[in-house]
Amino acid sequence: MTTPIRKYAFINAKLRARISKLISENILQQMINAHSLDEALVILRDTPYRILDDIYRKTGDLKLGELELLKGEINLYIDIEKYIHGDTLDLVRALLTLYEIDKLKNAVRLFFDRKIRKRTIDTAALYVLRDKILYDIPVDQIINADNLEEISRALETTPYSAIIEKNSETVIRKGSLFLLEIALDHFYYKNLVSTAQKLSDRDKKDALRIIGVEIDLQNINWILRFRRFYDLSLEEVLTLIIPGGYNLGIGLLEEAYTSQNITRILHGIIKTNYPGLSTLLSSQQAESTSELLLIDRILERIMIHEIQRILSGYPFTVGIVLSYFILKKIEIIKIKAILNAKQYKISEDRIKGVL
Amino acid sequence: MFTARMIKLFAVVLDHDADKVTEELLREGVMQFINITEIEHEWQGRLNDVSPQVSLAKIAMIRKRIEGFLTPLGIYPKTPGEIDLENRRPVDLEEENKNLDRIADELQEIRKRQRTIQQEILKLEGLSRQIEMYGPGLTETVVSSRYSFITIRVGKVHKDNYQRLTDEMKDIPSVLLTIHKEEDAHHLFLIFMKRDTERAQKILDRAGWAEAELSRKLISLKPDITLNLDEKIKQLQEEQESLRRKAKESMGLHSRDLNRMWVQLRVNELFYKVQSYFKRSSRTMIFSGWLPASKQSSLAEKIIHAASGRCFLEWHEPEKDTALEVKEKNAPVKFRNPEFLAPFQMLVTNFGVPEYGTVDPTPFVMFSYLMMFGLMFADVGQGAVLALAGLFGMFFFKGKKEAWQNISKLIVWCGFSSMVTGALFGSYFGMAWCKPLWFDFHGIISSHPNKQSYINDIFDILSIAIYFGIGIIGFGLLFNWINLFIKRRWIDLVLDKGGVLGAWIYFGGIYIARYMIMYEYRQLPGSGVIFWLVGLPALLLYAKGPFNFVHKRKKGTGKEFTLMTPLNFGMEWIVELLEVFAGYLSNTLSFMRVAGLGIAHVSLMLSFFELARMAQGQGAAFNLWSLLILITGNILVIGLEGLTAGVQALRLNYYEFFTKFFRGSGEVYLPVSLKSRD
Repeated sequence: MTTPIRKYAFINAKLRARISKLISENILQQMINAHSLDEALVILRDTPYRILDDIYRKTGDLKLGELELLKGEINLYIDIEKYIHGDTLDLVRALLTLYEIDKLKNAVRLFFDRKIRKRTIDTAALYVLRDKILYDIPVDQIINADNLEEISRALETTPYSAIIEKNSETVIRKGSLFLLEIALDHFYYKNLVSTAQKLSDRDKKDALRIIGVEIDLQNINWILRFRRFYDLSLEEVLTLIIPGGYNLGIGLLEEAYTSQNITRILHGIIKTNYPGLSTLLSSQQAESTSELLLIDRILERIMIHEIQRILSGYPFTVGIVLSYFILKKIEIIKIKAILNAKQYKISEDRIKGVL
Repeated sequence: MFTARMIKLFAVVLDHDADKVTEELLREGVMQFINITEIEHEWQGRLNDVSPQVSLAKIAMIRKRIEGFLTPLGIYPKTPGEIDLENRRPVDLEEENKNLDRIADELQEIRKRQRTIQQEILKLEGLSRQIEMYGPGLTETVVSSRYSFITIRVGKVHKDNYQRLTDEMKDIPSVLLTIHKEEDAHHLFLIFMKRDTERAQKILDRAGWAEAELSRKLISLKPDITLNLDEKIKQLQEEQESLRRKAKESMGLHSRDLNRMWVQLRVNELFYKVQSYFKRSSRTMIFSGWLPASKQSSLAEKIIHAASGRCFLEWHEPEKDTALEVKEKNAPVKFRNPEFLAPFQMLVTNFGVPEYGTVDPTPFVMFSYLMMFGLMFADVGQGAVLALAGLFGMFFFKGKKEAWQNISKLIVWCGFSSMVTGALFGSYFGMAWCKPLWFDFHGIISSHPNKQSYINDIFDILSIAIYFGIGIIGFGLLFNWINLFIKRRWIDLVLDKGGVLGAWIYFGGIYIARYMIMYEYRQLPGSGVIFWLVGLPALLLYAKGPFNFVHKRKKGTGKEFTLMTPLNFGMEWIVELLEVFAGYLSNTLSFMRVAGLGIAHVSLMLSFFELARMAQGQGAAFNLWSLLILITGNILVIGLEGLTAGVQALRLNYYEFFTKFFRGSGEVYLPVSLKSRD
């Protein structure tokens, strides 16, 4: 049996080195202060994101750069596959499923817009990822399909076919893809949790904790949306909740949906589980930040806290691999947010408020 | 050997001379300013800050903005010169920002057009991808299949509607080919994405499209379709390229103004930066800072001239002045090494900046680092490759980051060092093309030593490394004594483990070890000799504790004498002795890695030769495989061994040599000048 040191010594050292090279807050700040998109992109020229500037200079198309960024993000996982094996490799593949599901969701959304909502999808269709991740997803066939049955047939060789088939009637009846998307997410998290369960004890503990925090994030996000945009009964909501959350059990989520006060619940969690974050939260509350934003920040801080805990703990676990992916994802989200804000000429203060 | 002697200036000038003096200070560029608030004085409270006319942060921000426009063009603004200082004019930051906004908007317009074209390209590429998917078998069956994403239509429109149809179809990714022209009608072949059917149909209806049957002959037009699409894509790509060029040219046109603007901003930024260190009284300005003593008279002359003699200058020498703020520890360190030592100075500063007034080991590091590298990586051919790689690096990084320039130079030096030692050991790409000037390293490792040489086994090689290490440690101790002498730390000079007593024990120990080796480990020197060489200094070392105790008591900082005090002295003495014996032994043996890596280098080359011989076969001549093995072997050895030797040489310098004397508590001298980087 491979020892944790043999398993993780090389890859975790490599990832730790990469973590130390993540873009600094100073660079992000400079990008926020930039006067135009061109000027914000120039700041990235001395970073691994130089390609964004190169593509933009060549095409003037930020979306094309973002597509390249997505490919790069997927390649991070594929690149790491070379250095891992066994259960850890399975976990990384399970994480990759998220990108495939996103790709599928995008294609189905375009089909839905074109066929059901009768909207023009010319431009949006140009920026859908077409590269293979795990399974062959016939993106063009999905976009150009006549109905969901056709899409399901096109995905016959993948696990997504059954999910689409099962939800197609609801999608048409409700005129919304929301429940189908939730079903796909459920598939992703179920697969991820079951893969994590197969890891060694120490790895399992770290992985389930991080995945649990991510599930909390997803559940809270949905609860907010269920409450604001859908009129769902508590029973319906509870069937849609993803099991396996770390801080938010079914009881708390139920309370969050009925009491309409998610912030208070999160504060309670922080007081008991993350006392170190209390000061930060009270200062943010004073800034009269919107509830949605505040919740986002609280959850992000919890995630960062968990990552810091892993990074300062035992170095030979899968936690380092997961932390790296999450930190990289957060970095990419921030860069994309700033660049889009620059394209739409959003003020510095608003960008800072959102980030 | 020593860093530059520094002197501190305290100056008072009249308020209305301040600008002229500032310009002179900037022109001379020798002052490292210190904040007057750091000086404790009764008049401190009566001084006010000098607030610059414009915000330094804002100037820096706009300057960086300009760099953002220029650097992608490969233009790096040059540091301002004296002429720029003479032409300095106040800057209107708002106006400059507006100018930059105008340039940014201009660029934005081009980007918008680029984006539109790019989307057209992507649409056409999508269509092309779909057509290509069918390969040569674009048959009626395939085209009309439910899985096909493209629609092919054949029909005719009235000649008056043709232009309208062409224009409107441009909004949809499509190919429109004229098959045949009649007097009043155009027969057309149209292809578009199936998902655009509804939009396309509306356009066709407006143009009065009359459908015809899709014949086999028409389907065979596929090469024309792809040709037409490729042509369209090519045109758009050319247009895209010309827009990219236009954006670059447009920036190029502004580059001169931007450069000028940058220089003005930089000069103003530096000017106000100097004044930010000034303090103001009711009618005077006060400033203070460090400069090399060699620049004292020229700077004094310039300040007096600028202030027309109405100034007060006070000079403080760190060695003589006892005032708290002038103490040596506050004086910045200015290296005095010639340019060719820059890579070795980089190695030193990477470890730390030597304390002011102490030995700067840079020249010695050049000697020790190159010696160590050469001994570990001795080969004329491989050294020449390294030197060439370094020269390429110097050329490649010219005008770019200084650190990379220095690393390239270091590689060149290392290459030359390898060539010299390679010639001494007779190694040329691992082969013995010439007779060794010193001894045959390869012969010794492969058990064919030259019996006439006085170095003919591995133990002799290890001895060379050990003697070399003793020499390096000896120099480390010597530098330590010089530092302690300069700092007048007499107790440490005599009684410390790095002082005279430590060295006495070390060299005494070496004599005893050598004596034992000479007598094949069977005999020790006489007990009297051992006592004089090791015992006596070890006993004398005990005196360090009491001496320090008395010294501190005299200064009023020591503790009270108790019964535990002599015991503490004893404990300290034992620990010190352990450190001396174990530390010096391990430091010296550590140099065996020099021999070890040298042996590994030769062994690796011998292995590759053996592999090459196996590939070439018994008695056969060199073949391609054996040549490839030798080339790959050399590349691997240069890459891996070169890196290892470089790292180990650095490690030996840092941990076995520097730790004997180096106190990296110095602060680098950073004057504010026109050449300042930050």
